Amino acid sequence: MLAQVLFSGVALGSIYGLVALGFAVVFKATDVFNFAQGMLAVCGAYFAATALSVFHLPFAASVLIMALASSALGVLIYVALIQPLSGRSMLAVIMVTIALSIVLRSLIEIIYGPQGRTLVTPLPTGVFTWGTLRISQLHLTAAVVSWICMGLFAAFFRFTSVGLLMRATADGHEAALVSGVNVNLMNRLAWAIGSLLAAVGGLFLGQLQIVSTDLESIGLLALPAVVIGGLQSIPGAVIGGVLVGVIEQLSASYIAPESSDIVIYALLLLILLVRPWGLFGERELGRV
Amino acid sequence: MSEALAASTTRTAPARLGRVLWAALLLAFLAYLPFVLSHRAAFGFRLSNVQLLNLGLSQIDLMLIAMLGALSLNFLTGCAGLISIGHAAFYATGAMTAAITGTLWGWPFPLVLLAAALSGAVTGVLAGLPSLRVRGLYFVLSTLAVHHVVIYVFLQCQLHYFDVSGVPYETAKLGAFALDTPIRWYFFLLAAVALVYWGLGNALRTREGRSMRAMRDHEMAARAAGVDVRVLRLKAFALSSAIASTAGALQAYFMTNISSEAFGLDFAIQFIAMIIIGGLGSLRGSLFGAAIWLLLPSIISGLAPQGGGAMATLVAEHKPQLVQLIFGLMVIGLLIFAPGGMAGLGRSLRVLLFPGARR
Repeated sequence: MLAQVLFSGVALGSIYGLVALGFAVVFKATDVFNFAQGMLAVCGAYFAATALSVFHLPFAASVLIMALASSALGVLIYVALIQPLSGRSMLAVIMVTIALSIVLRSLIEIIYGPQGRTLVTPLPTGVFTWGTLRISQLHLTAAVVSWICMGLFAAFFRFTSVGLLMRATADGHEAALVSGVNVNLMNRLAWAIGSLLAAVGGLFLGQLQIVSTDLESIGLLALPAVVIGGLQSIPGAVIGGVLVGVIEQLSASYIAPESSDIVIYALLLLILLVRPWGLFGERELGRV
Repeated sequence: MSEALAASTTRTAPARLGRVLWAALLLAFLAYLPFVLSHRAAFGFRLSNVQLLNLGLSQIDLMLIAMLGALSLNFLTGCAGLISIGHAAFYATGAMTAAITGTLWGWPFPLVLLAAALSGAVTGVLAGLPSLRVRGLYFVLSTLAVHHVVIYVFLQCQLHYFDVSGVPYETAKLGAFALDTPIRWYFFLLAAVALVYWGLGNALRTREGRSMRAMRDHEMAARAAGVDVRVLRLKAFALSSAIASTAGALQAYFMTNISSEAFGLDFAIQFIAMIIIGGLGSLRGSLFGAAIWLLLPSIISGLAPQGGGAMATLVAEHKPQLVQLIFGLMVIGLLIFAPGGMAGLGRSLRVLLFPGARR
């Protein structure tokens, strides 16, 4: 029982971690606390669903289209909404992302109708048993792909020159600007990556359930994940995501199905009171 | 307001007369409005639904309740500078207090409102406690967490004492005067909104109100000037949430049945949208914001069929989504192009029309 719960917790948590990683990349680069991250995951799921079931494209092409479209969406959001608000109050920036998610949700519901749609992909859906553990292949695939994506981006930030420039920009805008880094380009890139990671997460969430705008609330679990992990820490976001997934599954199966939200947010409150910089973040940020 | 007051005493007699006339006109309009809306006629002339903008008195009543919420949130966010996405939690606190004291224990309505205000103030102080340790983004998140906790408690309380469909409320009675028709509610709520508007306006003009705005604009400077920002934050929270909680109790009594789902995150976000539309820090703006947010949906659905064609079918099929879309775009547009909201737009318009006039 426990192993089973832990497995699905880690698998779901890996998806949350992926979405949270995208969130953290955007936050580190542009200081935007993106409440629309959950909606970006939904958009990714709908991009994939459109390519697959409306245009009947093969799976690989659909994923490619989803990646391109969601990256473009991220850049568009940064250029059209975030850049004009640079230097404005935190409430303005937070509210613009909330308004954006409202707009995206209503657009999706007007175009596709409020009902969800199923996502048919060639990903394996069977279940195999390992000892007493029943392992859903889809969960396993989701977890593995999520970790591959996270590994790829870690390598990208660590080893490529563009990744270095992005890290430099995130560390200090002015310093990067003075050194001749195209800060705007780096920020656009960060938004593209953030949106892309959310979309991949959305693809799996849509596959595990059905594709609908209700996926937003699941995607939004990236928020507590990021804060629990530490807002300024990229690995913290991933670990926070896994932690949120595990806690969600544990409380859903051992306490009560509807208790998972409250447990996660109570933990968030506790972390904020005791260790506001999160489990892995750096101390002294926005504290009194 | 204080500048306006100072200016009005020094202004010439005709200008003062103009102000009095405007106030009298507004009062007459507000007093006559409910009769127009309930009889669907003005001065003996029948008015069609379109001429009345598809509005009913119940919507006006709900708007007045929302105005209480918008005023209190603008006091907290616009004037004290504390961002909260937990305002639905305070509404829920009020509704929950009303459920226990009013429905379960049978307390009279005025006492229930008092209890709701008190429990709201206590919840507000509790919700504001993290502000002693964290600020900025972290504090916003702590209000989000508080929201989830309160809504969960409400749901458990609802399931324990009542049932899944929601909490029932009795008819509200002020002594022998039962608030059982929309018109009676209208006058009661109008008085409540006027009282809160006047009270908050005055509170902002006191010593603490001014220190509060100083704290919003520059916390360091306020502290250097001897303002105890920690206590002030908690006080702002207590007052704001007491009002919001009373509004929640009023909403519960007005709806006669309410469940925890009514106070979701969307409910909290709508108040932030209202004060952004109306203008941060402007009490009058919050009234406009609440009016636009509550009345626009039915105006759209009433007027769109008149246009006919594709617009009408779109509205017929996707009304809620369309309304959300318009609100979302409106908030984005105002944030980018008019940060002052409607109040700011009004101010620039006045400067444009009467150059050299008092801002």
